[in-house]
Amino acid sequence: MKHAIKLTAAAFAFAAALMAPSALAQKAQPGEADFRALYKELIEINTTASVGSCTAAAEAMKARLVAAGYPASDLHMIVPPNNPREGNLIAVLPGADTSLKAILLLAHIDVVEANRADWVRDPFKLTEEDGTFYARGAEDDKAQAAIFTDQMVRFKRDGYKPKRTIKLALTCGEEGGFPLNGVSYILEHNRDLIKAAFALNEGAAGQIDSRTGKYVYNGVQAGEKIYQDFELEVTNPGGHSSRPVADNAIYRLADALRKVEGYKFPVEHNTATLGYFARMADLNADKAQAADMRAFAKNPVESDVAERLSKDTTLNATLRTTCVATQLSGGHAPNALPQRATANINCRIFPGHGAAEIQKQLENAVGDPAVKFTMKGLSGPPFPPPPLTPDILGPIEKVSQQLFPGIPVIPQMATGATDGSFLNAAGIPTYGVSGIFEDDERTNAHGLNESVPVKSLLEGREFLYRLTRLYAGGK
Amino acid sequence: MQSTHLLAASLCVLAGACATQPDTAAQSAAARAGEPEFRALYKELLEINTTLSVGSCTRAAEAMKAHLVTAGYPQSDLHIIADPKRPQDGNLVAVLPGTDASLKPIMLLAHIDVVEANRADWVRDPFKLTEEGGYFYARGAADDKAMAAIFTDSMVRFKRDGYAPRRGLKLVLTCGEESPNTFNGVKYLIANHRELIDAAFALNEGGGGRLDGKTGKYLFNGIQAGEKLYQDFTLEITNPGGHSSRPAPDNAIYRLSAALEKVSKMDFPIEFNDATRGYFAAMGAITGGAEGADMKAAPEGDPAVIARLRQNPGNNSILHTTCVATQLSGGHAPNALPQRAAANVNCRIFPGHAPEEIRKQIETAIGDPGVKVSFQAEPENPGPPPKLTPDIMKPIEQLTESMFPGVPVVPAMAAGGTDGRFLTPAGIPTYGVSGIFTDGETTFAHGLNERLPIKGLMEGREFLHRLTQAYAGGK
Repeated sequence: MKHAIKLTAAAFAFAAALMAPSALAQKAQPGEADFRALYKELIEINTTASVGSCTAAAEAMKARLVAAGYPASDLHMIVPPNNPREGNLIAVLPGADTSLKAILLLAHIDVVEANRADWVRDPFKLTEEDGTFYARGAEDDKAQAAIFTDQMVRFKRDGYKPKRTIKLALTCGEEGGFPLNGVSYILEHNRDLIKAAFALNEGAAGQIDSRTGKYVYNGVQAGEKIYQDFELEVTNPGGHSSRPVADNAIYRLADALRKVEGYKFPVEHNTATLGYFARMADLNADKAQAADMRAFAKNPVESDVAERLSKDTTLNATLRTTCVATQLSGGHAPNALPQRATANINCRIFPGHGAAEIQKQLENAVGDPAVKFTMKGLSGPPFPPPPLTPDILGPIEKVSQQLFPGIPVIPQMATGATDGSFLNAAGIPTYGVSGIFEDDERTNAHGLNESVPVKSLLEGREFLYRLTRLYAGGK
Repeated sequence: MQSTHLLAASLCVLAGACATQPDTAAQSAAARAGEPEFRALYKELLEINTTLSVGSCTRAAEAMKAHLVTAGYPQSDLHIIADPKRPQDGNLVAVLPGTDASLKPIMLLAHIDVVEANRADWVRDPFKLTEEGGYFYARGAADDKAMAAIFTDSMVRFKRDGYAPRRGLKLVLTCGEESPNTFNGVKYLIANHRELIDAAFALNEGGGGRLDGKTGKYLFNGIQAGEKLYQDFTLEITNPGGHSSRPAPDNAIYRLSAALEKVSKMDFPIEFNDATRGYFAAMGAITGGAEGADMKAAPEGDPAVIARLRQNPGNNSILHTTCVATQLSGGHAPNALPQRAAANVNCRIFPGHAPEEIRKQIETAIGDPGVKVSFQAEPENPGPPPKLTPDIMKPIEQLTESMFPGVPVVPAMAAGGTDGRFLTPAGIPTYGVSGIFTDGETTFAHGLNERLPIKGLMEGREFLHRLTQAYAGGK
């Protein structure tokens, strides 16, 4: 594998040489300057739930499509009347063959909150530094939103006539901060607009080995864990803080959180995860871990093997349901005993389990009836993973081999949740694929100083451009 | 002390006609006149929200000023004073000049700001005065709008009744007592209007009568003799965070929880000073029985005795320094690993210890260098408490005997902090006294469903009205 990766690196050095400004117009990355401007514009429109506006971002992207020549009748701003900041955009490039169902390009444009004080750089200014783009949403998910929008612009400008209709959906509310989820809103109110044979979405990426910097595999997501938040709450009559009493809401919550910290869900498996462990073992330079992965793929049970694999946060997330405390609040004044303390526990549930079952397990682990559990939001029924047919996987493998020769394509179950859960449940098989190679430890999506390598972003742009054309056919 | 009072009472009976008795009855009736107006004023003051978050002390000060204007105070004796940077956090100073210009005036001090109150957590609206079962319920019903209303009502009546005190009276209603880390009205007045508020001494919150919650028996009338030092500490831990689908072992919320567990187990050494020795001796005699014996024996330090006493939060609070977690925050999104978790730990420091000493002890108890322990605001440097001279004590003792025969006056160290810690070192000795009797347990100042017994409020009104006249002299 090492050999193949070296080849790839050499190929990219060559491609980079071609990307000199004079070569831009005719070679591998036409319109790169336009793309960078579009990406920057999208990133710098704050789309957090607290103070941002998806509508502003959607309007900005719409303006670019209008400028490219899309008629107004093919552009649809979908803004929920009572949620004016939660706008979505759907753009349609009609296909030549009306007997074929459309392909949907889905990306969300809302982002997780980011406190300027905590970041090294302004999270809402795109900063390019040492070959890396830094900003909130640099990766999740404005990378793919910008790539898909740029594609649509180029398709129209270049006069491309796809056989299959191509639909772009930029949606709000994926991260959960906004009251509404854009995809489920559109499914409910404008279902015809996003009907499609299948959808491409976030949820998978190429993997860079964080130690060596080498490309390891190109991931394709088929299926995902279920996202569920639980609120833990302790209440108390409170009182004056000059006279502390034994029972304290904050201390009881802290105790409960320590119990949640100590609780481990059982090891599980399904065909996607077993395939993942088996194929990933071949790519793993850590021989001991590779042996453990093979051993687990053969005998997927609780064991020292599973225990060792669990030390790796990514593998652990593939092995079991995980729950982790993500938010905390309590008390109402510095000089008053707390009347209430709450925490959010974020769970990623292994396919096949309901949220109620997980709640019961957590309640037992905490073992304090004064700690009240509440399920936040409604979790839908579990759904089977979308089928990875040759029609879907073939083009991905083909383009992947063109751009990343020798790097395998690996199906995986996503440990994070995406809007794919809504589309899959609505009968639109949704696959996560991006061709953007990342080092998970550095990207830090949702965290501080989120970033994406510039090179990876541009590769993803090329990958998805070719992939969409391959799926859609035509000229 | 009890027997002395009993003796005095019987002598009076034996004498057949106590010369002072008709006088006393008349004074009492006069001091209780105008109750409907007082209730209206108290209600008005309580229903003006004066929390730091959304309230306005300036509105409350203006409302109280309007009562004084109606009563006949000239504008030149009424001063609304707000820091120009904090226009909603105004104070009111009202002056009733004395007839003897050689005597310094008396300050009647009360704060009009209140601790935050969440409507959702309370049984009744905290900003509507509710009368129920012999209690007034509202945020500020006790702390400190009871005394603020009583003093304002006294000033109104003094003017209406044409009372000409020998010593001038200054009513000072201030803001920011509950938010010492943000700003404090008394500190502002000392710094900017020292002449206007100059006084021989001040009457303030911090004292109060204590009754037995079970029997309703009045136990003692408490006068504040010193107070513990207020200090907030911030516990903070940061972390790079990341996507919550892949929990990492190191988690800011869990580490903070572990730190809070350690803080909850902190036990500061038992200490005594003259005020607390005197308090336990006096209270031991009043309480009697096994508990009384424990109180009397407390200063000897027998661990079994101390352990029994500490089961009562009131006793516990004057036996040593206490620290308690009061506020909690952490995380920035439900689906992201926390980048920061923080808690406020509120300490009431036994006189004689520096805040830095306590900070180090907290740090050591936590034993995790990742958890930063810092001062929430710059520590204060209080001077010694004012001496309880006979000039101050005699009127209190005489009036207490007159209104509550047989109930002793007991000097006590306040576990809470008051504005006396600013005024006393500034040359205005400040005494905490109210004549409002409560059980000390179920007033819930700062907590949920704060309340005050109506009987206690009305007695306090009579007590403070008469006490002010006793100190001020004149007719």
